[in-house]
Amino acid sequence: MLIHILRYKFLSYIKTTFDSRLVSIVRGVASLFVFTGFAYAAYLFASEATRFMLDHTHTGLYLFHTFISMMLFVFFIAVNLGNIIVSYSTLYRSMEVSFLLTKPISFTTIFVLKFLDNFFYSSTTLFLGAFMMLLGYGSYFGYPLYYLTGVMLFVFVPFMFLAACLAVLILMAIMKLAGRIGFRKVMAGLFMIYFFFIYIFFDSSNPMRLVEKLNRFIPNMDAYLVQSTPEYLRYLPNQWVTEFLYYSARGEMMKALLYAGILLFVTAAAFCVCLFVAHRFYYRSWLVSLQVRSTVQAPADPARKHFFGFRSKSIFSSQIEVLLKKEVWTFFREASQWMHLVVMIILTGLFSVSVSNLNLRSHVFDMQLITYLVLFAFGGFMVGSLALRFVFPLIGLEGQAFWTLRTSPIKESKIFLVKFFMGFLIVLILAEYIAISSNIPFTKITEMRPLLLWFGIFSTFWISLTTVTLNLGFGGYFANYFERNPIRAASTQGATLTFLVTIIYLIVLVALVFVPISAYFTTVFRFQYFQVKLIVLPGTLFAVISCLLSVFGLIIGLRSMRRDF
Amino acid sequence: MVELKNVTKKFGNFTAVDNLTLTIPQGEFFGFLGPNGAGKTTTIKMVVGLFTPTSGVIIVNGYDVLIHPIEAKQSIGYVPDIPFLYEKLTGREFFYFIGGLFRISKTVLHDRIAELIDHFEIGSWIDKRTEDYSQGMKQRITIAAALLHHPKTIIIDEPLIGLDPRSAKIVRETLHLQSKNGVSILMSTHSLAFAEELCDRIGIINNGRLVLCDTREQLQIHKARYDGKFESVFLEMTKQ
Repeated sequence: MLIHILRYKFLSYIKTTFDSRLVSIVRGVASLFVFTGFAYAAYLFASEATRFMLDHTHTGLYLFHTFISMMLFVFFIAVNLGNIIVSYSTLYRSMEVSFLLTKPISFTTIFVLKFLDNFFYSSTTLFLGAFMMLLGYGSYFGYPLYYLTGVMLFVFVPFMFLAACLAVLILMAIMKLAGRIGFRKVMAGLFMIYFFFIYIFFDSSNPMRLVEKLNRFIPNMDAYLVQSTPEYLRYLPNQWVTEFLYYSARGEMMKALLYAGILLFVTAAAFCVCLFVAHRFYYRSWLVSLQVRSTVQAPADPARKHFFGFRSKSIFSSQIEVLLKKEVWTFFREASQWMHLVVMIILTGLFSVSVSNLNLRSHVFDMQLITYLVLFAFGGFMVGSLALRFVFPLIGLEGQAFWTLRTSPIKESKIFLVKFFMGFLIVLILAEYIAISSNIPFTKITEMRPLLLWFGIFSTFWISLTTVTLNLGFGGYFANYFERNPIRAASTQGATLTFLVTIIYLIVLVALVFVPISAYFTTVFRFQYFQVKLIVLPGTLFAVISCLLSVFGLIIGLRSMRRDF
Repeated sequence: MVELKNVTKKFGNFTAVDNLTLTIPQGEFFGFLGPNGAGKTTTIKMVVGLFTPTSGVIIVNGYDVLIHPIEAKQSIGYVPDIPFLYEKLTGREFFYFIGGLFRISKTVLHDRIAELIDHFEIGSWIDKRTEDYSQGMKQRITIAAALLHHPKTIIIDEPLIGLDPRSAKIVRETLHLQSKNGVSILMSTHSLAFAEELCDRIGIINNGRLVLCDTREQLQIHKARYDGKFESVFLEMTKQ
């Protein structure tokens, strides 16, 4: 039965993704170019970063893999958290599940179907990115392609699969608890537990503290490192992957295979537990989700005036007012929207607090420059992710109800601009917060010279403007008005393409600022005067490129809103 | 008043509406009939601005819908064939939303909403989110919302889908009253009896072309040619 349904789902996917219309072919070729560019960039980045860390800065093999472990931990949490949110929509709110439940199919089959659908649909780009990074990493050690393919299939995919399995187990536990103590209390509790664990992990494996301690132990680093890893970290899946890579790099294959074996065994066990729990509880938890939804959606009191309610007064014109209110209420009444925003805000806060406390005084010039560029790129990446998740789906989420706007006496540009300003405001606030916090450590080491801070604020404004316009415009162009799940809308082929365009834009920006920022750190290091004009030309180019892309996004978006509906 | 002059709509090689010319004067109730895929909804979507015609001109209450879309839309009340609503809003919020788009002042809107809630008998569930509504409930909300701004023209696509007999009666009476008050109505329907009962004039479209367009009185002559049933006229006119 499972194979039968999967076959038709696959056929449907193929037919909707690949058709012979010219526009689809052009779109496909364009996607291919962007994906290839992304894949090559990921490969190059991993390859160069490995070379730089191991050859240039002489970071030891163990320390290098400790950094990898931290990245894998973040990756694991991201996949896990993403799967909890997406699984809620696919397992409990999908029309397909409602349809399948009326057919003679077991609940476990439906669960497996939606779980696999969820995992593979939303992880395609992650697979590509992870594989290309692995190839880049492996090229340093000279691993053959078949070996790296094996590592991908038997280490990285199970690693991600484990995160997804844990995610659905947590989700089913949430649903069970939600039926007893309420959905909101469960979610609040879950968030607290998550952030507690993230805090504990980073507190015990803080990279800065690690480097500082290491400096004290030089030249006996290995002796320190082997004994320094906290015992509990050895039980985390990211550590098993890291140990596998570390021992492979050292040529100790038996030890490496032991860790791969542990990972595979635990993943298989987690999946079996998932099946068992789903067999016992999936249908019941689905019924609980119906009950939770009906509790949340009790009729509103017509006499009560809400703050920002439709009946309350507003300073805006009536059209802008109702558009804003509609956007706000539809956003905050959709659990997957506000929950994801809260998660993003908390993660942004955690990142900003950690970064603003960095002490870079003891670092050499090279490290300061690289730290700056990494933080600059990462800030841009965060902005791009925020825009992709919350701005890209804005037009498509109008859904089939878009007829109301399209047949009303309102200009499409007004609808577009309201959506743009809402997205831009949220993204800009978070982005500037990231930019200011990540520039604080550099302001400290440059004797409180504010140049980098101002440049950060300036560049962040342009990055936010461009990513929001691009995402809104492309979101309109690729809009699927039948997709009601915002998370799925933000993980379609069009969304991926948009994100890759954003990444390419960010790479161009990093390349643009490399020379002036490098010159700036050189002058600070040598106690010289920095000529501001050095940053004016790249800054202007920065603004011009951003402006052109923004206009492009604007045109695409406006045109898309005038298409036949 | 609605005027379509030589309107054509093509989707690639397929012609959905072929050189359609039609005038619906102010106050006329026009029934638009035709088999599935004949071009009724496409025509309606072009009139309300959801589709752009491939060629031809559409004028609504003196405004060309392509040149002055805002003015044209301001005078139209549109009810689609499937009443999709914003699921996270309540019915009452949806009314305020539509009212705001049509620039109706809050005080006027408040009274108008109360009036429509009474008229359509929707007070018991108007403050629930529309995601909990049945098809019929959504349909009633959509029809009521189309009347909020006292439109000069009502364009309504399949008004009876999903409605229970009581709701259907309310809708029928409402449309009849609007027509009597001088509102022009373009209604697409599959219900021949409904069209015959209410419409001043009936048009039958087949394969994108208007194959019959006559008043209710003239329709009797056509019926007499067959077995006295409108169904037989319709089947003959739409024969492939």
